[in-house]
Amino acid sequence: MPTDPKNPTSPSLPLAVVGAGAVAVEHHLPALGASPRTHAEALVDLDLERARTVGEKFGIPRTAERVEEVIDSVDGAIVALPNHLHAPVAIDLMERGLHVLVEKPMARTVSECEAMIGASRETGVVLAVGLEFRFLPGFRAVADLLRSGALGTLESVDLQQGVDLFWPLASDYLFRKDQAGGGVLMDFGSHVLDLLLWWLGDLELLSYEDDARGGVEANCEIELRAASGAPVRVELGRNRNLRNTCRFRGNRALLEVDVWSWSPTIQLTFGGAGTWVEGRGEAGSGQPAELREAFVAEIEEFLTAIAEDRPARISGEEGARHIRLIEKCYASRRRLVFPWLEGSPVETDR
Amino acid sequence: MSSSTPKEGADPGRELAGSRALVTGAAGFIGGRLVERLAESEVEVRAFVHRLSRASRIAVYPLELIDGDVRDAGTVVRAAEDCDLIFHCAYGTGGSQRLRSKVNVEGTANVLDAARKHEVSRVVHLSSLVVYGHTEDGDLDESAPRRSMGDAYSSSKLAAERRALRAADRGLPVAVLQPTTVYGPFGGVWTANVLQSLASGRVILVDGGQGLANPVYVDDLVEAMLLAAVRPGAVGEAFLISSAEEVTWRELYEGFAELLELEDRTVEMTEDEAISHFRRQRWKGPGLISRGLSLLRKDEDLRDRLLATREGRLVRWAGSTLIPQSWQPRIKSWLKALAGKGGTKESGSSAGSELPIHPTPPGMVRFLSARTRVRIDKARRVLGFEPRYDFEAGMARTGAWARWAGMAPSEEERPPGWEPPWDRD
Repeated sequence: MPTDPKNPTSPSLPLAVVGAGAVAVEHHLPALGASPRTHAEALVDLDLERARTVGEKFGIPRTAERVEEVIDSVDGAIVALPNHLHAPVAIDLMERGLHVLVEKPMARTVSECEAMIGASRETGVVLAVGLEFRFLPGFRAVADLLRSGALGTLESVDLQQGVDLFWPLASDYLFRKDQAGGGVLMDFGSHVLDLLLWWLGDLELLSYEDDARGGVEANCEIELRAASGAPVRVELGRNRNLRNTCRFRGNRALLEVDVWSWSPTIQLTFGGAGTWVEGRGEAGSGQPAELREAFVAEIEEFLTAIAEDRPARISGEEGARHIRLIEKCYASRRRLVFPWLEGSPVETDR
Repeated sequence: MSSSTPKEGADPGRELAGSRALVTGAAGFIGGRLVERLAESEVEVRAFVHRLSRASRIAVYPLELIDGDVRDAGTVVRAAEDCDLIFHCAYGTGGSQRLRSKVNVEGTANVLDAARKHEVSRVVHLSSLVVYGHTEDGDLDESAPRRSMGDAYSSSKLAAERRALRAADRGLPVAVLQPTTVYGPFGGVWTANVLQSLASGRVILVDGGQGLANPVYVDDLVEAMLLAAVRPGAVGEAFLISSAEEVTWRELYEGFAELLELEDRTVEMTEDEAISHFRRQRWKGPGLISRGLSLLRKDEDLRDRLLATREGRLVRWAGSTLIPQSWQPRIKSWLKALAGKGGTKESGSSAGSELPIHPTPPGMVRFLSARTRVRIDKARRVLGFEPRYDFEAGMARTGAWARWAGMAPSEEERPPGWEPPWDRD
C-alpha cells in the first residue's frame, strides 16, 4: 500500500471514486494521482465496462458496479455522479462510515442538502462539497481585496457569465430537469453564486427570471442585494456570449475579475486618471494557476479535515448556502421574455 | 400598425396540438425555432440533434432529445416511432463536401424510409431555392426547371428533394418547402456570418448590389412549415417560401451594417471584377487574415466578441487545420498577440477603406447578381401562407437578438459603465 513519503508512518488514505464520468476522468482521478496523502483505491460505476477502462488507465486496483463491493477497502469517497444521485449516494456512503467529498452542486434541493448534513452529523464523518473555484488563487485574491477595503464602500456588483456551449457532451443529463435539477443556474450558477456568497456574505433575492418552458433554463437574470445594501446583478447564459467578468464598483475603486478562467485577470482601477493595477491569479510557482491545482487543493483540504477530525472548510452547511438561494430563485421565477419574441405568436398565444 | 409589428394570421400550430413530431436538425437555426413553435403549440416534440452541446436553446422545453446522425438508418427509424409528423431540417454543415452530401441525401432517404415504416401522417422536407440552380432575372415559380449550380451543396439538396417528391409519388404524404435567404435570431449563413463579415472587413456588392436577395424571416418560414404539415393540398407539392418583398443585396447588407453601427463596409464590383478579385485573393489567405486581425486588434471589444463566438472558434479551428503548416507559426503568433492585451482601444480607427475585402466565390457572384423575383403565389394559394414580417420588421427582431447575443453593440455596452465618484455630476 502506498504511503505518504513525508510521513511514512501514515499510510495513504484509500478513497473510492463513485462515478467514472467526465469530471472524474478530467479532474478527480488526475488530482488523486498527484497527492501523496491519498489514492484512488476503487472506481465505481454502473457502467462496469467504463469503470474498467478508466480504472486501467489510472492504475486503480479495484473497479466495481456497486459501492458495497469495495466498501471495506476504502475510508472515504468522492461522489461524481449526476446531480440527482448526489444525496442518496452520499447519505448511503456516510451511513456506511465513509467520509464524503461530493461534487457541486451538493444536491438539487435544500431538503436533500439537509438530509446530507444530518447524515454527516449523526455518523460523525466529514462531508465536503467540491466547489473547487474557491481554491483558485485568483478568486482567493478577490476575497482578500474585498476584505481589505480597497474599494471603499461597495456600491454595486454585476456578474455576467455566458458562452455558447460547444464541448461534446457525453450524455443529455445536463438537459434533463429531473436529473440536473435545473439549467444554467444549477450548473454554472452553482459556482458563481457560491463565489458571491463567499465574497459578499449573505444575499437577499429581489427577483429572478429565466427562459425555462418546462425544461431547463439556458439563460437567467438574478437581482440580489448584499447585506451592505449594494445591488448585485447576475446574468448567466448558455447560448450567448457575455462579458464573463464580475465587476465590483466601490466609491474608491472598481474591481473587475474574469470568471471564465482558471487564472483570472484581476483589474483594480482607482480614480479617473487611468490609475489601475492588473494581475493574474497565479500558483505559488508564479505560473498561471491550473484547475488541476484547485482540485488537488480541494482533496488536500478534505484529507486535512479527516485527519484533524474537524468539519471541512466547505462543509455541507457551506455548500448548501447557494442551493438555498437557487431554490428561492426557482420558487420565485418569472418568465424571461426575449426582446425578439415580444408580440410574436409564441409569446402571445398563451 | 407599424411596419415592425408582425401581421396577424391564423395559427396552424393549434391544429397540431396533441400530436407528436420528430424534428431533425432540431438544434439548428430553423429547427430550433420550429421546436419553439411546436412546443408552444403543445405538440410533443422529439428533437433529433447531431451535437448535444448545441441543444441548450431547445432544452428549455421538456422534450425528448435524441443524439444521433441522420445517416444512421436504425437511429432514425427508432426516433420516428409513434410520431405523427416529421419535419426534416437536418443537413450537412460540417466536414468534407462528400460527407455533407451524404448527410443531405442519405439522411433524407433514411427519414423517408422511417416515415414509411411508421406510417407517419405528414413529412415536411426542407429543401432550398438552390434546387433551381442559377436563376434568371424576373419571376421564378415552382414550374421552373430544377438544376444544380454545379456544387456539392446544391447537387445534394436537389438529389434529396427528388427523393422526397418521388416518395410522395409512391404515396408517402410528403410536402417540400424551398426557402430563399433565411435570416433571423440564431441564424448562421445569412445572419451571424453576415454580421461577422461586415465587422471584420468589406463585402462586395456585385453589380452595385442590385440583385434581389429574397429574404425570409425565420418565423415566416416556420409558419409555412406548420401550414405544410396541416394543409391537405400540400402533399406531393413543393413550395417556394420567401417574404415576396423586393429587397436588394445592397439593402440587406446595409441593414446588417446598421445593426453594427458601421458605415462604408461594402465595395461595388462588376461580376467580372468580383470573380477576378476572388482569383487574386484565393491564395492570399494569410495576408487577408493578417490584415483583418491587425484591424481587429485595434478594436478589443469587437475582437473579444468575435473570437468568443462559435464562428470565431471555427476560424481558429480552420486556421489550424486548413492552412498549410508552413504558415501556421505566423498565424499562431498573430493569435497570440490578439490574446494578449497589447491593442489600443480605437474602435473608430477601423475606417472602412482600410479593411480587407472578403472574396466572393464565382458561383456566389452569379447568385448575388441575379434579379430573380421569387413568387410565393402557390404557397399563398395552397397553404394559405402570408409572410408576417417585412424586411424592416424581421431586421428589428434580428437586431434585438444580435445585441442580446453580444454580436452587435448594445446600449448597455456603450458607456464604460463606471465613473469614479469625483467625476460624477
